[in-house]
Amino acid sequence: MPPLVRVALALTLCAASAFATTGDAASTWKERLDPIGAADWSPRYAAHLLERAGFGASPAEVRRFAAMEPNTAVRRLVRFETVEQELPDFVPSGIWKRGMDPFPASRAEAVRQGYENGESMGVKVDPDNERPLQPIVDRFFYLLRANVLEARRFSQWWAQRMLVSERPLQEKIALFWHGHFATSDAKVRDYRKLRLQLELFHEHGLGNFRDLLLGITKDPAMLVYLDNGENLKGHPNENFGREVLEMFSMGVGHYTEDDIREASRAFTGWTQYKLKFVVREEHHDDGTKTVLGKTGNWDGEQVIDIILEQEATPRFIARKLYEYFVREDPSEGLVGELAETLRESEYDIGALMERILLSKDFYAEESLGSQIKSPVQLAVSTYRKLEQKRLPTIPDFNVLTSSLGQMLLHPPNVAGWSGGRSWITGASLLQRADLSRQILFPQVEDFRDPDRQLPGIYRRVAERLEQGMNITEATSSGSSSFSQLAGKSEDYNTRYGGYIGYVMAWDVVKKIERKPAAIDVGGLLDAEKAWTADAAVDALTQRFLSVALPEDRRETMVRFARSVGLVEAPMLGAAQRWGSDNEEALRELLHLLLSLPEYQLG
Amino acid sequence: MVKKPKSSELLLRARSAASYADYGLSRRELLRMGMHGVGVSAALPLLLQRTSAALAATTGGAALGPLGDKILVVVELSGGNDGLNTLVPHGNDDYYRQRPTIGLKKEELLLLDDEFGLHPSLKGLERLYKDGKMAAVHGCGYDNPSLSHFESMGFWHTGVPNAGEALGWLGRLADLGAESDGDPIVNIGSSQSPAVRGADHTPVVFSDPERFEWKGSERQRATFERLTSGDGDEAASSDGSLRNGEATDAEGRHLTNPSLDFLHRVSANAAQSSQFVRTACADYKTPVDYGIRAGLGGDLIRVAALIAARMPTNLYYVSAAGNQFDTHVHQADVHSRLLMYTSDALHGFMEDLERIGRADDVAVLVFTEFGRRVEENASLGTDHGTATPLFVLGKGVEGGLHGKPPSLTELDDGNLIKTTDFRQVYASVVEEWLGFGETEALLKASFDPLGLFAGKG
Repeated sequence: MPPLVRVALALTLCAASAFATTGDAASTWKERLDPIGAADWSPRYAAHLLERAGFGASPAEVRRFAAMEPNTAVRRLVRFETVEQELPDFVPSGIWKRGMDPFPASRAEAVRQGYENGESMGVKVDPDNERPLQPIVDRFFYLLRANVLEARRFSQWWAQRMLVSERPLQEKIALFWHGHFATSDAKVRDYRKLRLQLELFHEHGLGNFRDLLLGITKDPAMLVYLDNGENLKGHPNENFGREVLEMFSMGVGHYTEDDIREASRAFTGWTQYKLKFVVREEHHDDGTKTVLGKTGNWDGEQVIDIILEQEATPRFIARKLYEYFVREDPSEGLVGELAETLRESEYDIGALMERILLSKDFYAEESLGSQIKSPVQLAVSTYRKLEQKRLPTIPDFNVLTSSLGQMLLHPPNVAGWSGGRSWITGASLLQRADLSRQILFPQVEDFRDPDRQLPGIYRRVAERLEQGMNITEATSSGSSSFSQLAGKSEDYNTRYGGYIGYVMAWDVVKKIERKPAAIDVGGLLDAEKAWTADAAVDALTQRFLSVALPEDRRETMVRFARSVGLVEAPMLGAAQRWGSDNEEALRELLHLLLSLPEYQLG
Repeated sequence: MVKKPKSSELLLRARSAASYADYGLSRRELLRMGMHGVGVSAALPLLLQRTSAALAATTGGAALGPLGDKILVVVELSGGNDGLNTLVPHGNDDYYRQRPTIGLKKEELLLLDDEFGLHPSLKGLERLYKDGKMAAVHGCGYDNPSLSHFESMGFWHTGVPNAGEALGWLGRLADLGAESDGDPIVNIGSSQSPAVRGADHTPVVFSDPERFEWKGSERQRATFERLTSGDGDEAASSDGSLRNGEATDAEGRHLTNPSLDFLHRVSANAAQSSQFVRTACADYKTPVDYGIRAGLGGDLIRVAALIAARMPTNLYYVSAAGNQFDTHVHQADVHSRLLMYTSDALHGFMEDLERIGRADDVAVLVFTEFGRRVEENASLGTDHGTATPLFVLGKGVEGGLHGKPPSLTELDDGNLIKTTDFRQVYASVVEEWLGFGETEALLKASFDPLGLFAGKG
């Protein structure tokens, strides 16, 4: 029997049980929380650590961490304060102008303010204008658009940190909390608030969970996102209180609807004003509340402390961290032990992370290469393994990740990204392969800056204005798919405002400099002295994959390498090098490797 | 079962992305005969025809197995469609009392009878109703309803409200009722709906068929196909022996990697189905009016294309996604537009099925996660509610209005009290339409079907 058929038959036999559990046989390290010893430490484990506690690493970085004692390596990631680094701060474009804060909730409200006060957002009604309220409508749309663009700049700034930070876990845990305390700028519409929130995650992400939870309940972005401005004495809005219990601390099933109502009362009056947390005493309900069995005149901070006393809370947090960083199937016993670590350390997230990342369980076979990378992880780690120092901007980072289902600052809902297998469909797998193609073969000539495009509806307005039509003609719509009934008022033109808002935003928001990755696959292989087709396949596999490539697939890759002329790197001058003549073929080889299901795992 | 073809003929078929469990042979059987890892390069249109012909001859088009040969298309309207302004109780004064501004006047409605009329945008549905091809079920919901989009939609997806069910009702249906080979579910969307999540099956999920393709150079392609078009079972090899001995524990026991197995299954599924899907969709031209050919209309054209190409699939899932029906403010125009798109698309789809001669094989179920509050709110919209009508379309349905209309005065905190458990509707489409009898195993409790299909009442 040919070997492949034999293998296939063997697999047919075990296929039925393979999907049901983690495996037929558990490895000896599974669920063991005692630390890995220095004698067991290896480059494979160091690579795994850098993949999970960061965004992947080049072979040189892996070697650097493999040369450390395991507890030194882990401490360097968790207690990152000792790692010196200076990263450039975000440089705002200055899109917020005097008088714009607080920003009206809708165009209709901006117009209402204009009628009532003669001004809104720092601009006055212009009686000399054919459409007196037009300046107000223009400014409203300007900020909407400018904020979208600025948020994209800001998320690229964050991605750049993920790419180069010497404190990768600081970024990775911030991304974790961004999904846990999910807040979307699609609703908040003020990237500055999201920036403050990210600062909270950067600062306390590995610190004390109480600081983090309290910080998020006072976080302007979150207060807006969960409508706590509408949580008033006598009219409690339960959105905020519900999510604090359900999504942020305890998980469903450990509290009652009454607990939600009572906890919400404690948060009444908590709101924000101009990027600051404020308590409106007149809206705060200072009556007696009973939350989780405790009765008193609680405010939000005291409710947080009651929540932290619950047994469910450290379990919920420990489980979520474990599932994000290690595996999705912890036993109840394991979760209990991790929760105990959290409780004993009085909610020191760093202490828990140190225990997890040092545990034998973290390095068990069940853990290695078992996690499906998120789109952000996929993009950043691809760049890291290609040894990029600057985040490439062709293709556009946000377009890349959002086409795969994830955009920074834009989690889909309060539950955050579902993660794991939910990233994958047949079509998304093929698009993930296309992400690698776009990175390895960037379309520089044909690149169109997504931040400088008008949508079709406004492009038509621009064209008609250029043809000399007046605003009314230029904005009249033949068909009506977006007909807005209020936009037909003579005091202003909504569609023109939308169009001009785009143009005004372009004037203010700094342009992202567009550059493709500086890729030199041959150079990466030269550094590893991988100068034959076989060696090239092995070196690229080693660098990019977290699971082994089966022999038959490796053989297929090697055959491809040979078929496109890669046999052995030529001598160039005195030294052996792949050189630029081979670069195209090497990139094709790499693109094939990165198209494999194996590459989705980290 | 058809006669098994010669192996040379098989090889040709195995080279096609369209080779399903047709010809009575499973992929596993092909695998045993050494067909794995063969590149996909055969001219597809020809193969599509041959596959179609063969399938038509044997099965009538849909997958083999207990699910039979009928097709169910499930249409999700996300955001909570306002049921009271969809199937309007114009004979009930309380409707107008609770909705003085946004209530739809009797003169505007497409009247069905003395009590009910359809929203004026639903001309397509009205026609289906008159032709006896539309059944509406009043007041569908479940006990202890959730007013959260997220949670309530989750309950409709799993079909097991207020429980920790992880798999979708259609995914479980495929697990229970379909053969292990083939593609019992197609989900058109940019991410997979939780409704189609099963334990054993990998649904075909795509949004834009033209992007459902691996892109690379010509010389790369054959290699890529060799790397991924291998049989799912073979590719799903996380057995230690294929991992260079790494995946064994200290005692030499083999370990599996379920994530890798999953990825290989999806990858093999994509390799198997993407070319079929792409070609079928690209080749499909229809003169039928679906209204706007984007969104739901476009997705239903794709479904029609796959049905026309006789994809061996029983269950299709499409969605008007993105919470569109969440009409909290100034809802009149936006709701009217959404209903028009939906109704035009559904009517076009039914007409198209008639055109391609498949109208007898297909039923459509239209649902949303909840209806809206009876009373209109202060911003001329409606807030989250509970019970809502469900619509079932098709030549096979027992047309008309089913079930008991919910009371507009006896309310639960301002919300309708359901009169029919939505799982009875699920039970109807599963049992009465698909002919699958194990609804209790599927829905984890016993639900009486409602007699929604002709001859089943």
